[in-house]
Amino acid sequence: MGRQRLLLALILGLVIGAIFVISTIPTRLGLDLRGGTQLTLQVETTDKVPTITEQDMEAVQRVIADRVNELGVSETSVQQLGQNQLLVQLPGVSDPEQAQRVLGETAQLEFRPQSPGTEQQFQIENQILQQHQLELLALQETANPSSQTLLESATGEPGTAGSDDLEQQIQSVQQAIQESNRAIRDLFAPADLTGQALTDAYARPRQSGNQWEVVIQFDSAGANKFAEISRDIAGTGRSIGIFLDDRLISAPSVDVQYAETGITGGSAVVSGNFNADSASDLAIQLRGGALPLPVAVVETRTVGPTLGQDSIRRSLYAAIVGLVLVLIFMAVYYRLPGILADLALVVYALLTLAAFNVFGVTLTLPGIAGFILSIGMAVDANVLIFERTREELRSGKTLYRSVESGFYRAFSSILDSNVTTLIACAALFWFGAGLVKGFALTLAIGVVISLFTAVTCSRTLLLFSLSLPQFRKPELFCPGLSTAPAKP
Amino acid sequence: MKLDVIRQRSFWWLISGILLAASLIGMIISWQQFGAPLRPGLDFVGGTRIQVTRDCGAADCSEPIDSADVRSLLANQGLETGVIQVTGTEGQSVSIRTRNLTVDEEATLRAALNEEIGPLDNRSVQIDSVGPLVGQQLFASGLLALIVSFAGIVIYLSLRFQLDYALLAIVALLHDVLVAMGLFAWLGLLLKVEVNSLFIVALLTIVGFSVNDTVVIYDRIRENIKLHPERHINDLVDDGVNQTLTRSINTTLTTILPLVAIVLFGGETLKFFALALIAGFLAGAYSSIFVASTLLAWWRVKSGKAISGLAEPAQPAEESL
Repeated sequence: MGRQRLLLALILGLVIGAIFVISTIPTRLGLDLRGGTQLTLQVETTDKVPTITEQDMEAVQRVIADRVNELGVSETSVQQLGQNQLLVQLPGVSDPEQAQRVLGETAQLEFRPQSPGTEQQFQIENQILQQHQLELLALQETANPSSQTLLESATGEPGTAGSDDLEQQIQSVQQAIQESNRAIRDLFAPADLTGQALTDAYARPRQSGNQWEVVIQFDSAGANKFAEISRDIAGTGRSIGIFLDDRLISAPSVDVQYAETGITGGSAVVSGNFNADSASDLAIQLRGGALPLPVAVVETRTVGPTLGQDSIRRSLYAAIVGLVLVLIFMAVYYRLPGILADLALVVYALLTLAAFNVFGVTLTLPGIAGFILSIGMAVDANVLIFERTREELRSGKTLYRSVESGFYRAFSSILDSNVTTLIACAALFWFGAGLVKGFALTLAIGVVISLFTAVTCSRTLLLFSLSLPQFRKPELFCPGLSTAPAKP
Repeated sequence: MKLDVIRQRSFWWLISGILLAASLIGMIISWQQFGAPLRPGLDFVGGTRIQVTRDCGAADCSEPIDSADVRSLLANQGLETGVIQVTGTEGQSVSIRTRNLTVDEEATLRAALNEEIGPLDNRSVQIDSVGPLVGQQLFASGLLALIVSFAGIVIYLSLRFQLDYALLAIVALLHDVLVAMGLFAWLGLLLKVEVNSLFIVALLTIVGFSVNDTVVIYDRIRENIKLHPERHINDLVDDGVNQTLTRSINTTLTTILPLVAIVLFGGETLKFFALALIAGFLAGAYSSIFVASTLLAWWRVKSGKAISGLAEPAQPAEESL
């Protein structure tokens, strides 16, 4: 029985690990449960850009992510969806209008020469801006509701005074940042050179040292304009402001050697304190601005925070009621094995929830449904095994033999039925969208873990209980067996 | 309890036939009324749905919201075609469905609502806005997922079993999906129940579960054929069904219990999802026992493989896992 004890210890370890994971890593709740706004943006093609490449998407995504950051919401996410769509999630935002306005715009990239006599003011404003940004970061960290667990948010009071306060603080800092951005922009004069004139931007390593630089290229009209601007600026200590959506993303100065002609030829190099990451970051931002790809909001879904909480509370109660009914049924119908299966089911539920947290599965309403369903599948495996065990007992086999062959005989059914479900899950995951994907993932995780618990956990518990004499009674496994004929 | 599925099969096939006919009739009537087999919800046709609730701390909640007020408010905004539904326990919520609104139109509408029936509770607002293309995409990707999973299941079952098992399992599966769709076609006609993207998820789940159920019974029939290659397929199928019958009943019961709990106690959004699953799972259990098994026997007899015959006598496996 040494192997059984070892497995028991392993299961106990897994359970403790699962409880630890559940209590430390927060469950990620979908927007339908915690409230918030979700937007689907479609990047549209233009005459100039008839097809959207991966690179274009990366650039647009960067632009959108910057704008989302500016909304001052914590825990936002911007994901690519299919070939040309972006999914933006804004937890806690119940007023989608602002978001829709800000995100649905086409990116605006502008090159503006700094106005004379603004050098000092620029420095001051820049410092103020940076201070605000640090402030915002700190506030977002405290506001981060990810420490909220599933149960807390299901039972906790929505919207405590503290979080409202924090929200207001974030909003005021947000406003201050926008004001700073505007103030900085006003220090630079409009020059009618926009992203449309930019044909390319890319990062490359500098010839000497291990620093990086960003190369920008203009079309012919843009090249003339740029030469003009750079000639005016060269050697003055002022800089050319590169603005993306009215936000300064770079302010390179121009060397005095260009004071005669300006930077001609339509190609320029921005060098500075770049490493590979920051250089490619700037290049992506520039490309995002160079691509005047229109972005359309094709779908918005907003759930108020209390509405989601009501849903989650009721569904959780329903899940718990359903689970308890199943546990009672198993114990009453299958006796001792049923009770052990119940234990295995609890282990299953803990492991699955822990797996959700570890893999970062976002739990949505269909996700919860998938979870409840996978409990049904986990029960099915046990039912298959116990029915087989009873059959073997009725045919006159010894208890130990019956349990063993019950597991062995049922295994092929369990495997086939679970593999077909997994195949369906895989198809749903690869080809399905949104909801379907989340559902497939939760169901697949559930199925894999239920295979493990049904075959390992129930089996170990059963064989272990058989090693204890007080449990070695066939009637605990199959009521009414004593009346069956011919049994040793 | 012992079932004689083979002898009574015309009876069981008749029941399935009636169910399928009822489903198809429901879908045809729906098609004539809505241009789709089921009453399509916002997710598929696009549009904007705004659901707001009065803030009873600040508003007068003694009377339920008057839909006539909301109707005239909509008319003022040129949205006469909108659908208005007063919901909530005390009629304090209203759900409005219109064509796809722009950001500004939506803001104006919300402001007007706030003025007319408000003040509204900002924390329990729900707004869904879906472009017309999104629904098509969703539908197409769902259909593609379905076809690919069918193909995957057929390949796996052909490898593990034989091609005829695989194809008949798909027949049983289509039966279950059609029955669930038929129920919702009728619900759409009689109770105006709309299907949304969650319904696609439900159909896909029914597919998974239905195959699951059929596979367990087929697995037993296959085992019986191996153990008794000399016996007639009709007897072997009868035995297989009866050997797995308790399991079928218990599993369906334990799976449906939590779903019934959701229908009774769950949040509004999940209710019809759970109902679709219950219908599909019941149909799945039925079709596995009475349709998939009897079809297999019928097909084997028809194709002259009623007795698998000369296969080597199989040893019942006794070794442990």
